[in-house]
Amino acid sequence: MENSDIKEPQGTKLGKRKLPLGSPQVRKTRTRYVWLNVLPDDLWLKVREGETISEAIHDENIELGGDCGGLGKCGKCRVKVLSSVGPPTVVEEELLSEDELQQGIRLACRTIVDKDLVIHRDEADFETEYFQILKTGHRPLVHPDPLVTKRLVTLPLDFQEDSLSSEWLSDLDRIKLVMLPEYKDLIAPLNCLRSLPRMLKETSFSGAAVLHQNFMLAWQKQEELGCYYGLVFDLGTCTLVGKLINLLDGSETAVVSCLNSQMRYGSNVISRLQYVKEHPHGLESFHDLMMKDINRITKRLFKAANIGPEDIFIAVAAGNTTMQHLLLSIDPSGIAEAPFSPVLTDGLVVRAREVDLLLHPEALLYVMPTKSGYVGGDLISVILASGAAEQDDDIILGLDLGTNGEIFLGNRKRLVTCSAAAGPALEGAAISNGMIAKAGAIEDVYIEDGELRYQIIGNIKPKGLCGSGLVDLVAALLHSGNISYQGLIQRSRKSGPNVQNEKIVKHAGTYNFLVATSEESYNQRPIYLTQKDVRELQLAKGAVAAGISMLMEEMGIRTDDIAHVYLAGALGNYVDVMSAMRIGLIPDFDPGIVSSLGNAASTGASMVLLSKNYWQMANNLSDFIEHIELSSRLDFNQYFVEHIDFPKANLW
Amino acid sequence: MSEFKALIEAVTKGDISKAVAETQKAIDAGGFIQAIIDEGLIAAMDEVGDNFSKGTIFVPQMLRSAKTMQECMKLLEPLLKEGDTSSKGKVIIGTVKGDLHDIGKNLVAMMMEGAGFTVTDLGVDVSPEKFVQKAQEVEPDIVAISALLSTTMPAMPQTIEALQKAGIRDKVKVIIGGAPVTAKYAQEIKADSYGADAGSAVTEAKKLMGIS
Repeated sequence: MENSDIKEPQGTKLGKRKLPLGSPQVRKTRTRYVWLNVLPDDLWLKVREGETISEAIHDENIELGGDCGGLGKCGKCRVKVLSSVGPPTVVEEELLSEDELQQGIRLACRTIVDKDLVIHRDEADFETEYFQILKTGHRPLVHPDPLVTKRLVTLPLDFQEDSLSSEWLSDLDRIKLVMLPEYKDLIAPLNCLRSLPRMLKETSFSGAAVLHQNFMLAWQKQEELGCYYGLVFDLGTCTLVGKLINLLDGSETAVVSCLNSQMRYGSNVISRLQYVKEHPHGLESFHDLMMKDINRITKRLFKAANIGPEDIFIAVAAGNTTMQHLLLSIDPSGIAEAPFSPVLTDGLVVRAREVDLLLHPEALLYVMPTKSGYVGGDLISVILASGAAEQDDDIILGLDLGTNGEIFLGNRKRLVTCSAAAGPALEGAAISNGMIAKAGAIEDVYIEDGELRYQIIGNIKPKGLCGSGLVDLVAALLHSGNISYQGLIQRSRKSGPNVQNEKIVKHAGTYNFLVATSEESYNQRPIYLTQKDVRELQLAKGAVAAGISMLMEEMGIRTDDIAHVYLAGALGNYVDVMSAMRIGLIPDFDPGIVSSLGNAASTGASMVLLSKNYWQMANNLSDFIEHIELSSRLDFNQYFVEHIDFPKANLW
Repeated sequence: MSEFKALIEAVTKGDISKAVAETQKAIDAGGFIQAIIDEGLIAAMDEVGDNFSKGTIFVPQMLRSAKTMQECMKLLEPLLKEGDTSSKGKVIIGTVKGDLHDIGKNLVAMMMEGAGFTVTDLGVDVSPEKFVQKAQEVEPDIVAISALLSTTMPAMPQTIEALQKAGIRDKVKVIIGGAPVTAKYAQEIKADSYGADAGSAVTEAKKLMGIS
């Protein structure tokens, strides 16, 4: 039967997959990373194994308190370790009371992170906060030309003694005169004019003009030239991410993320749209919730750089089309039904205060252009981050994998996109023991020495499977023959050390796979992968794979023609490339050309923030890219059905 | 029944060439055409529907079986005498207005055909008016309505209402289905039945027709 097609693994460990000779290593085999979960705000850090908590946090610009610089002398960098922790060091025994040690209090500078740890630090000590985020990921070189600039302007002395001057010039005219020819049409908003006389005097007529196009947003003190930041937001359906970007050098000063408060109204876009449609004040309440979240994020970002809202003049937001509508308080209901029409797809520049974003009163908010109801500003940002729009010859495939799998293919000559309704399975929803990627989620599964092993986020007992864990598990079971290529969970007819027959449990006419027993699990309930779960995954990966196939056909290319594959999104960043190929989520590529883009939506937004050219490019992309509406394509069904089965052949 | 065991097995496995050969064999043996259909093909598709409901087979396998049956029917149909075919009933099926999801509805249509119903597929994005118009034209026993989005579900009660207004609600049975649809929802909007998947949709349709 189907298993005869599967080559017998030869002592293959799924954790250390063999790659073709000469191909670069993909994920494993580099430095091992572990998770550090910092409570109470559920911040996640991916840290190098063996670093101390202080080192891990220092790299991320988080301050824990303490004034000896990590020498283990002051005893002030206290944290409470909530997960299991080894015995205290001698220094800790000296500096901490027995009671404290008992409670799990340790010194951050002395505690080595050698496995996933959950720590709690005193809220009173909070100087800055961080959320785990993939910060790596490539970004095309940005020639700095930020959307808002600051310029030192000094008015000549003879201007200042107005009464004696033969020319009776207004303050503004004198500023214009100095800034000729570039700013001959300079306009200052009322707010700026009101404070101008005072500020000119305070700065002795030599200050920093904050400029946006031909507007002077403010006149600041000279020293403000060094305080030059902008914000970017990635507005996801589940998570909101904010970044504080230093506009002087383009670096990320701080990153904060939080769960989207709209989650309680459902975890997908459709449920939000439905709520807005059915409730007269739905739009208003979603907008309010979002702004509360965002303003909370910005507040935390400001703390990190010791600045205030009035120091920020510019922000860029990227999200899916629905989230961008909600940000702008524009009714997105049209996106809910065919023909899925948003109110606008153009990029938009608004005053931050018009959407209740608390920044400088004259601050501007750039909202990314979109392509359609389901190809949003986030995908355009991902395209920017991938560099595909600047690529002449190489063909690039990009996947933003979440509830909707947004896909693009091509380069600056031609770029096609589609949105494949992958369903929630890839984010761990619609799976009987599925969950989003947070503490307790099995995120990585492999078979080693015949044993099924897994890594759990937070180093606690498992609570369920998140998307990457699900993909890994199914790949491993396909490999062991415990799932057939048709998706049937079964006792494997193969023999071999990797076969997991003893965990195949009969249930209502089909079989389930026992992932963790009730003793092994966090909630004392067994964790199963059910037959239905596998079917859900088949539908999800079938939709994504069919989307890729259709785009390739549209472009008239084969997998060999693709030079780079970039993965982004909640699943894309964490999924194991080999597992993704094993289940057929993506076609078989040389793993060396596949890489993760990190939080690509915010990277793209940062590029716009830092360069007017990229804003222009984003707007051009909105017109240039071709969108294929899969549901209106008759041949989509055929592609979809073809991709529901798993690939027969084993890669490893 | 056992007479068609090999045929049934070939159809459930989706082995087209074997199924066609078995059908030919049955014809050559002089069997009743209607019996080959009822006890061979339809019985096989019943099993396919059951397997699908249980989860032991999935969409591609079910489609393959349906295709196998269609190939066999090509041999049998020309041999059917006028009035020989006793259709199990007439069904019109469509996905509601605003919803372009096709596959689930197609599977149901295929399985209904496989069970011996005469199916008229109205396609996707079908307005209540179109459902009414077709219902008046075809005079079906069953109106099957599909919706795959929670946002398009409200078009289901609208369609039922339209049937009511046109005065044909009493003449048809309404069965609904689709991922977000539940049995409770079917009750709420006063549909007659609910099919959780393509297999159970057929079972429910048969119940509505008083056959099982």
